[in-house]
Amino acid sequence: MTDERDAKHALPRALQQAGGMREGVPRRVAEEIGVPEAHAHGVGTFFHMLARPEARLRVCTGLSCRMAGGDRVLKAAQEAGMPVEGVSCLAGCDVAPAVLRERRVLPDVRAQDVEEAKGDWQALMSRGGLSEESWCGHVWPERPDAEGLALDLHGAIDLDGTALRRAEEIGPERVIAAIEESGLQGRGGAGFPAHIKWKGVRSQAETRRYVVLNADEGEPGTFKDRELLVRRPDRVIEGLVIAARAVGAEAIWLYLRGEFEVPWRVLEETLEAFRGAGLLDGLEFHLHAGQGAYICGEETALLEALEGKRGMPRHKPPFPTEVGLWGKPTLIHNVETIACVPGIVMRGGAWFRGLGREEPGSKLYCVSGHVARPGTYELPLGVTLDELVEKAGGYVGELFAFSPGGASSGFLPASERGRPLDFKSLSEAGTMLGSAGVVVLNDSYPLREAVLDQLRFFEAESCGQCAPCRIGTYFLRDALERRLSAEANQTDALRNVSEASWQMNEGSICGLGQAAPLPLTSALKHFPEEFGGPEAAS
Amino acid sequence: MSQQPRITLGGRALVFEPGETLLDVATRNGVEIPTLCHDPRLKPVGACRTCLVEIEGWQRLAPACATQAQAGMVVASENERIDRHRKSLLALYMTDHPQEEEPAKSGTPNQLLAMVTEFEAASDWGRLSQKRAGRPGDRNPYIHYDADSCILCARCTRYCDEIEGVSAIALAGRGSETTISTADELSLLDTTCEICGGCIDVCPTGAMAEKMPLVQEARPDLQLETVRTTCNYCGVGCQIDLNVDRAGEDGHGRIVKVTSPEPGTTTNDGNLCVKGRFAYEFVHHGDRLTTPLVRGKDGELHDASWEDALRIAADGLMGVRERHGADGLGFVSSSRCTGEENYLVQKVARAVFGTNNVHQCAAT
Repeated sequence: MTDERDAKHALPRALQQAGGMREGVPRRVAEEIGVPEAHAHGVGTFFHMLARPEARLRVCTGLSCRMAGGDRVLKAAQEAGMPVEGVSCLAGCDVAPAVLRERRVLPDVRAQDVEEAKGDWQALMSRGGLSEESWCGHVWPERPDAEGLALDLHGAIDLDGTALRRAEEIGPERVIAAIEESGLQGRGGAGFPAHIKWKGVRSQAETRRYVVLNADEGEPGTFKDRELLVRRPDRVIEGLVIAARAVGAEAIWLYLRGEFEVPWRVLEETLEAFRGAGLLDGLEFHLHAGQGAYICGEETALLEALEGKRGMPRHKPPFPTEVGLWGKPTLIHNVETIACVPGIVMRGGAWFRGLGREEPGSKLYCVSGHVARPGTYELPLGVTLDELVEKAGGYVGELFAFSPGGASSGFLPASERGRPLDFKSLSEAGTMLGSAGVVVLNDSYPLREAVLDQLRFFEAESCGQCAPCRIGTYFLRDALERRLSAEANQTDALRNVSEASWQMNEGSICGLGQAAPLPLTSALKHFPEEFGGPEAAS
Repeated sequence: MSQQPRITLGGRALVFEPGETLLDVATRNGVEIPTLCHDPRLKPVGACRTCLVEIEGWQRLAPACATQAQAGMVVASENERIDRHRKSLLALYMTDHPQEEEPAKSGTPNQLLAMVTEFEAASDWGRLSQKRAGRPGDRNPYIHYDADSCILCARCTRYCDEIEGVSAIALAGRGSETTISTADELSLLDTTCEICGGCIDVCPTGAMAEKMPLVQEARPDLQLETVRTTCNYCGVGCQIDLNVDRAGEDGHGRIVKVTSPEPGTTTNDGNLCVKGRFAYEFVHHGDRLTTPLVRGKDGELHDASWEDALRIAADGLMGVRERHGADGLGFVSSSRCTGEENYLVQKVARAVFGTNNVHQCAAT
């Protein structure tokens, strides 16, 4: 049985260190690591930051960034002869358009900045207002308000381990009871009750267990984990330690987006501080850099990638709580979920439960697009779009449509502006809260273009393992492009789209393929006139 | 003793052994569930999605090949939802697959196309331009990868990993550009590939196909006759099926392909090596000896009868022994001989000629 003592998990990093997929690299690295050459090639070509090492700049082509002129930035960089490519999402929708320089995200890059750099891609870093210092996005509330907030992004970093000591005092049973009482639901998108996972791992006969942090934030519209990692690394690490001790795990693996160079550094420093204070005794921490693949945010794909393989989702059941990393029981949580834990331990489950409306807790809402102040807003779970946007300084222009929870959630019409943004209420509307990446659109950006952006995203990010998703994402994007093309003979391009969407939802292995049709199907349902009337897709 | 666990499949209560998948139970009981990526020798991946079944209480359809039977499961492998699933899945496959059977590039039937016909799936959803890279420059003489026909079921790569332990090919790229590749897209000759041809054998659509000129003669309309025989390249005793075009060679019959018998039916369990699978041209080669030859006093080889040839060889060997003693002789047998034949060679050496100078070229 392989585990972390097996060098295979180091394959992606070794490929990165060898300079990515240039001729000869997979063979050389394969020999060093002890994996078959073809496997090194298969892994290297799966992750875009390894597959295309010549690109030093990457311009985000996600919906919010395109709305903010990302395509003009990309074009300007291409015309200037810079080593550039477009990428799916950089978790910088609040600072759109975002550009990745090497492994660091630059905010608010304008085509003019690119032109002024005169073809020198490295010069982009030194433009006005940006320095080597990390930048942070806008968050709300702007001052600490610990009483009503589970995460409190403006709170002071606490390196004393207060919550850790408290957890030790009360013991694992009561920690898990507090999590159960809190009603904490997974904040990565699925909304699954956290305590069921904790109990599941704790009750396994196998004693080698893992805790895994999913910090591969990449859902277009979503950037909350980026803020959380940089502003409250203490909460993240405390949450991981409490979880590990509660479920009986000694090894903690952190899967961080490869683009999160700054959060990585912050986490390392914080870990060092906790370790120095003797708070991490008996625990191993392993930091793993993602290499560019949205699908690795899917928990089982992430486990595959951590093991050094292509990030292709596994079948469930068995669930990771039973058969996870290297086949061992594994507790895997999103950054925000784990960061809720210290507060729950300190203040109790009932306190957390009371922070939300119909559902428990406060929640980080990301809002971007046509609003005055895009950013991360911690609000009671279940606020409406109007309430959220009010905090964000109001709408820019007239609300036309919005996406409530990332690309996977599709689009809702303005008439749904009063619907509570929580798991249950959005599920009833045929969509989902997902990662709470809210994108607001007025009528200045054609909705059909927004739909096409999302379909392009899923096509680019499908892992390719199963046919419904691999072919379906391509089929839908192709159909819509043909429908929107000027050619008059493409009026029946959307024929079979609804059946293909049904198939993707029924037949795909994981949530990516199941949700990928939603941008199109939801838009056809709510905005048929955008696509030539209701008969277009029949 | 507790009762053996059962599942209900299509209304029938069926017993199962712990560890069996739903597909195992179905197959054992004659219930047909379509599969493309399944091979009983390989770990299931459930990637082709053709075998999805409905399990009571499960929200999602589940792959029969990768779902273990659990006591009390109520499973449907035929109903309206499953039929709609199969039809729409196959229709989607067909947007990414050549519509017409290629003229027997592979000489094997295309299971996907057969399934489209069987389930009356639509094949008029249009055709997407194909994005998978092949390896057109691969100079290996035997194996062709036709990326157009590939459905990414990964039987070939898993076979190469799990059965052969060679891992010369792997899934590469992502999304609709996913393909089957070698490291750096090298020719198979420059990789660990042993050209066993197992990838061709397990491929359900003929995307992995034989390159050999001989197979070009295998037309789809051609009825091939299968002749089971034992491979004589070594002593392992692999069973092989000669695929014979009866009309070839002026009616004498011509071997156009060698395939392995079904896995699980013979000792080689569906496997062959490069020699057994591909090195059959010698059978019809013009230089092949058809009669013993003896070198005459003129220094040339002349046709001889077996009786004469054996007598002359025996006389020669006896003559050496008389002149130089028994240890003046040495016997080397071929690795193409069987164990029994090798036994006889050492018997001749020791018992007839009286020497222990005997060797077999595969013995070291």
